[in-house]
Amino acid sequence: MTVAVKGLTKRFRDQLALDRVDLDVRPGEFLALLGPSGSGKTTLLRILGGLDFPDAGTVSFGGEDVAGRPARERRVGFVFQNYALFRHMRVADNIAFGLTVRPRRDRPSPAAIRARVDELLALVQLPGLGRRFPAQLSGGQRQRVALARALAVDPTVLLLDEPFGALDAKVRNDLRRWLRGVHETMGLTSIFVTHDQDEALDLADRVAVMSAGRIEQVDTPDAVYNRPATAFVADFIGNATRFDCRLSGGGVEIAGVRLANAAPTAADGRGVAFVRPHEFHLAAAGEPGLAATVRRVAHTAALASVECALADGRVIDVAAPLDVAATTGAQVTLVPTTVRAYPA
Amino acid sequence: MTTEEPRWLRWTLIGVALAFLLLSLALPLAAVFAGAFAKGLAAYRSAIAERDAVAAMRLTLTVAAIAVPLNLVFGLAASWAITKFDFPGKSLLISLIDLPLSVSPVVSGLIYVLLFGLQGWAGPWLRDHDLKIVFAVPGIVLATVFVTFPFVARELIPLMLEQGRSDEEAARSLGASGWQTFRRVTLPNIRWGLLYGVLLCNARAMGEFGAVSVVSGHIRGLTNTLPLHIEILYNEYNYVAAFAVASLLAGLALVTLVAKSVLEWRFGDELAGAGH
Repeated sequence: MTVAVKGLTKRFRDQLALDRVDLDVRPGEFLALLGPSGSGKTTLLRILGGLDFPDAGTVSFGGEDVAGRPARERRVGFVFQNYALFRHMRVADNIAFGLTVRPRRDRPSPAAIRARVDELLALVQLPGLGRRFPAQLSGGQRQRVALARALAVDPTVLLLDEPFGALDAKVRNDLRRWLRGVHETMGLTSIFVTHDQDEALDLADRVAVMSAGRIEQVDTPDAVYNRPATAFVADFIGNATRFDCRLSGGGVEIAGVRLANAAPTAADGRGVAFVRPHEFHLAAAGEPGLAATVRRVAHTAALASVECALADGRVIDVAAPLDVAATTGAQVTLVPTTVRAYPA
Repeated sequence: MTTEEPRWLRWTLIGVALAFLLLSLALPLAAVFAGAFAKGLAAYRSAIAERDAVAAMRLTLTVAAIAVPLNLVFGLAASWAITKFDFPGKSLLISLIDLPLSVSPVVSGLIYVLLFGLQGWAGPWLRDHDLKIVFAVPGIVLATVFVTFPFVARELIPLMLEQGRSDEEAARSLGASGWQTFRRVTLPNIRWGLLYGVLLCNARAMGEFGAVSVVSGHIRGLTNTLPLHIEILYNEYNYVAAFAVASLLAGLALVTLVAKSVLEWRFGDELAGAGH
């Protein structure tokens, strides 16, 4: 189902949480709302779920305006950050909740509800755990129960708030793959909130990057990563280091080195440039570029991580080939090889 | 749990605490029962079966039976409003709930005399319509409601704040109505805290002296609650009867105390989410 918002504005006391946000989510799409805390991503998700209401703007599901419709009439599945499982109910009763609160004429028979619960327990790979209480489950299991509970009401839209936030790294990776699989099997339109760029880029069809109540860019992970539309996105994604620079004639001048601008900006004048850890080349001291001192070298990943202190005191990690000739204490020059720059 | 403190210090502290409890709680309680039975079982029985004593007992139970349910509903509504919604004047409401705890009970009683007494604001109107609030049962109920009104809300607000709103939001997004959400999600989450608050409220409703004393008028057999009746008997040097009736009140308090301990034991379990 298409999910569309237009001109969405929401104010909490004197703070603008959402500032005229427009967003179109395509049917069957898996969309990530990515941003730092306070960027408005959770507020947007809650408005889509009918848990908060906008001050202005429209929300439509499948072309139908739902802005004034409360949560219980929206048929959305909402998975909460802390799962919000009902602690006094067994897992099976938690999953069945959405079916058992229906008015009598729409409510499936007890046998049908039981069958549906078993089916969902199998889907979330927790068969036979229906008699447990939430407190008797691990974090990953609780997350899957929360998902099963949300799916029980056959939602057309699935909303997930930081779905992997409370889990450890290993469980998180397994669950990501699995969630993607569930999304595809059920033919859902899913929107999830995260502050973790790896998660968003790894999992989503498209990523909406948010900052200060606005959407900065909505694009495929590839485009968001390689062609950040704004300085904010370039700063937020890919662990970049920020430099002041001069823009002129489609080129960037940074620390005496002139490069083509990898970002689509035509403006001239003062600008800000962003360089990622693997976009530096380590050269001998004295060459044109940024003078730096090597503080530490770690060979613990596919690329070596070289911790360098710049002349202005900033410390940055440079990703270099494993055979990099750098030793602790050495004076080197960091030469940017790719740079994205935007008008300041 | 072991600590660095030497053994003698530990035992001294425990000894001091126990001695204090014995002196200030157990001994007076024992004295009440000893005084009550000083002239034998028959005297005790006739003291508590006396007409005015039975009337006082009935009035105390009646007042508690009205005040406690009222404050149960009020406490629930206030805690719900405070913890699940944001609205202007919220902190004012929280301070207002605490007001009866910080105001002397005598003042609480006086408020009603000033409002509804013959010389009070509503006095002439009430007299014209032949309604009696002060020096009658309605005044006693009002004063008791006022004094006991923070207990349920005080118990529930921290609990509901800690539990947050997401359970209710989950229920709503799953299609539950407001009533279904309350009955199937909120109430089970707070049931032990609620019961605990009701018990405290009940203990205070039965034992309240100051506020009730001001509005009651001390009419024997009509507007005397148990605590007031005890005072009258005591002032008349009728010690056996005073202690006998006091033992009834103490008995009610003991029942409440035991119920509270049982709940605390259960309640800790619930909070840890251990289930059954």
